Amino acid sequence: MTKKVLIATVTVTALVLSGCSSKESELNPGSIGNNNISDATQITEKTVSIDENTYGNENTKNEQVSAANESNSNVLNASSNVNSSANGFKSLYFGFGEYGIAPSMDTRMSVNSVTATKHTKKIKIEGNCDEFGTDEYNYALGLKRAKAVKDNMVAQGVNAERMIIVSFGESNPVCSNPTDGCYAQNRRVDLRLAK
Amino acid sequence: MRFLLFLLVSLYSYGVDATLKIEKDVEQRSRIAIVDASPSQNNIFFKILLADFKISGHFLADSSHNKGTMNTNFIASNLKNKEYIIQYSLTQQKGSNLTVRLLQTSNGTEIFKKTYAIPTKSKMPFLAHKAVSDINDVLKFSSISWINRYVLFSRYTTARQSEILLADYTFNYKKVIIKGGLNLFPKWADSVQKSFYYSAYGGLMPTLYKINIYTGKKQKIATSEGMLVCSDVSKNGSKILLTMAPDGQADIFEFNIENKNKTRITKFNGIDVNGKYIDDESRIVFVSNRLGYANIYKKSIGSAAVSQVVYHGRNNNAVDAFKNKIVYSSRESKKSFGSNQFNLYLTSSQGSNTRPITTTGTNQFPRFSTDGSVIQYIKHRGSGSSIGYINLTSHQSLLFPLSGKKIQSIDW
Repeated sequence: MTKKVLIATVTVTALVLSGCSSKESELNPGSIGNNNISDATQITEKTVSIDENTYGNENTKNEQVSAANESNSNVLNASSNVNSSANGFKSLYFGFGEYGIAPSMDTRMSVNSVTATKHTKKIKIEGNCDEFGTDEYNYALGLKRAKAVKDNMVAQGVNAERMIIVSFGESNPVCSNPTDGCYAQNRRVDLRLAK
Repeated sequence: MRFLLFLLVSLYSYGVDATLKIEKDVEQRSRIAIVDASPSQNNIFFKILLADFKISGHFLADSSHNKGTMNTNFIASNLKNKEYIIQYSLTQQKGSNLTVRLLQTSNGTEIFKKTYAIPTKSKMPFLAHKAVSDINDVLKFSSISWINRYVLFSRYTTARQSEILLADYTFNYKKVIIKGGLNLFPKWADSVQKSFYYSAYGGLMPTLYKINIYTGKKQKIATSEGMLVCSDVSKNGSKILLTMAPDGQADIFEFNIENKNKTRITKFNGIDVNGKYIDDESRIVFVSNRLGYANIYKKSIGSAAVSQVVYHGRNNNAVDAFKNKIVYSSRESKKSFGSNQFNLYLTSSQGSNTRPITTTGTNQFPRFSTDGSVIQYIKHRGSGSSIGYINLTSHQSLLFPLSGKKIQSIDW
């Protein structure tokens, strides 16, 4: 009996150990070989290069931006001279990740509503973000900021039909230094007359 | 006798653990050496070959840049501890030409030989990728054909200016496809990579175009006030997920390419973006701030119910999906700035088995490979940026340095 148990155990052990190193390796020489790389991809074909400089240069030159205001606040100090809007409008600044208009921006909003009455052209409201965030979410955040400004302007009597909102996400920074004050300048909404 | 039985049982138990360890660490990967028989050695090409073998997860490649000759079956004594030898010869007089041989070290038998040619010198990395992909197939490992694909990305050049480029997965090959203006969010429109969608922000209204990379033929797909992004494309290319803002609110829509019908999937007075098809494409995952911070949610396309997928982190602002696998980026630091750190997490559409897959730096833009086995991402660490890859099966990872300009979006 003992001998049978021993033989059975040795057999099982041998099978387990042999399983450790077993590896199926059926090679198939020459199974692939059409002597080019286009059999699986389109990579050999020439691709185009397109220059779209004829599009999209509607107004990329911002007004001069003054030196960064190194405020400890999350929202840029409203009394600073920083402004990247055009045509008499004032830029609005936001806290990190926020899209509500801070009370400190009320004066600037009032200036914008008055300025809007001085023009008949459509007004373009551009939402912008700092560089923290990733692709789509940042663009949506910029859009929410632009929408908040538009809604505030409507509440102050500006015709909603006169305003167009767009988000530029993090693509349109006015300051590129790695400081909180600089990032705060980029979390903004700019207003200008549409062309 | 009892001692002998105990010893054998112990050996049996040890054998089971040993099997698991050996399979994971050694046996599943083939030990190879690479022999360069090119008329003039190209270190970049050799490094690309090494990277390809590493990220496959199927090979343990010796990093020695051995020099030798082609068409000999003689195996040098210092290479005999490998299972296979790869001989190659690269010439770049007219375009790029590559000949590759795979030899079995034990008996010097040629298992595979193939010559590759491509008319453009700069596309040389694709020769390495295709050769390694073929060798991988010959040895009957699971496919790594994703290394042959183009990577498509946009990057900022100056304020409100960007360009869209093609690259190989290592970024050794790069070509500008669209320059000028602000063109963003490129997304492959088909599985064979002939066309892609992108958003043009040139005029008053963002416009979505589809462009063929070989003919340059451009087709206008949609416009929307505020923002417009193609976030995902269905497997057969007939439907796309768009983030649009027709009323100034970013919501997710499904757009039927054939009949131009548009279906609103989400309706929320906040931010809903980054829709990705999951499971059988009847459901999506997306990023929303409906609880006051960016997080990952899911919903069926035909119903209103929304459920939270991720119960971790306070800022999970980007997501990608492959069937029921989900990868997302999560901000780890409570600080707004400074050493701000994002890590990538892998989870399922049921929110189970969540685990981090990066641990250092700022890791963003996660993208699954076409077979879901590898994740591509962008890592910022210190003053440098890299494009990274994590093989979820073999746990191999690779980083390739990126120069200068900030990447806006990426797809492959």
